[in-house]
Amino acid sequence: MEDLENEIRNLIAEIIEKEPREVTPDARFFEDLGVDSMMALEILAAMEKKYRIHIPEEKLTQLTTLRQTVAVAREFLDKKGQDA
Amino acid sequence: MLNIEQIQEILPQRYPFLMIDRVTELEPGKKAVAVKNVSFNEQFFSGHFPGRPVMPGALIIEAMAQASIVLFYSGKSGLSGKNMSYYLGAVKMRFLQPVSPGDQLIIKVEPLKMLSNIGIVSAEARVGDKVVARGEISLSARENG
Repeated sequence: MEDLENEIRNLIAEIIEKEPREVTPDARFFEDLGVDSMMALEILAAMEKKYRIHIPEEKLTQLTTLRQTVAVAREFLDKKGQDA
Repeated sequence: MLNIEQIQEILPQRYPFLMIDRVTELEPGKKAVAVKNVSFNEQFFSGHFPGRPVMPGALIIEAMAQASIVLFYSGKSGLSGKNMSYYLGAVKMRFLQPVSPGDQLIIKVEPLKMLSNIGIVSAEARVGDKVVARGEISLSARENG
C-alpha cells in the first residue's frame, strides 16, 4: 500500500519538478504545488503507462492531491486485478 | 491528404515557421503523418552550422507540434480553429540522427491522451526508413482573448 503511494509521489514529483517530500498526501496540486491542467494530464498518462491501466479522462478532475491520485490509481488497479 | 493550402487553413503558423509541407495520412483523432522537405535554402542552415548544415532539433519538435495540431483538429477537439494560440507544455525527445539538406522528414503523430484543450502525443520523425527523432510532446490551446 505504502509502496504505491511512494511510487506515485515520485512520479508526480518528477513531472511537476518538485522534491518528493513536498508532495505530501494532502498538499493541493493546483493551489499548493503549482500544477496546471497539462501536468495533471501528464500525471494521468504516466500512471497509465507505469501500471498498464486505463484511466478515463473524466477522472482528471479527481487528481487534486497525492491521496486522491493514489485512490484513483488503486481503483483502476483493483479493476485490472478483477479482469485478469 | 492535405495540401499546403488546406494546412494553412488549420495552422496559424506562416513563413518562415510553417514546418510541414503536406499531410499524407490522416486518421481523424488517431494518427497524422506529415512531410517536411528540408532544403539548403532554409534560413536556419546559414547559421546552424556554417559549413556543416544540420537541422536544429528544436525545429523537428516544432514540425511534430504542427502535425499534432492537425491531428487534434481532425479529432474535433477544441484544440484547433481560428483565433487559437498553441503552447507546448512539455517535450520528451530523443534525437538519433542528424537531418541534412535534401532529407525528407516524415513525421508521424498519435495521441496518447486527448482532451478538449490539452493533449499528449507520441511523435516520431523518419528520413527514409531511419528514425531520426522520437518522443512525446504535450500541448495546449487557448482561444485568443
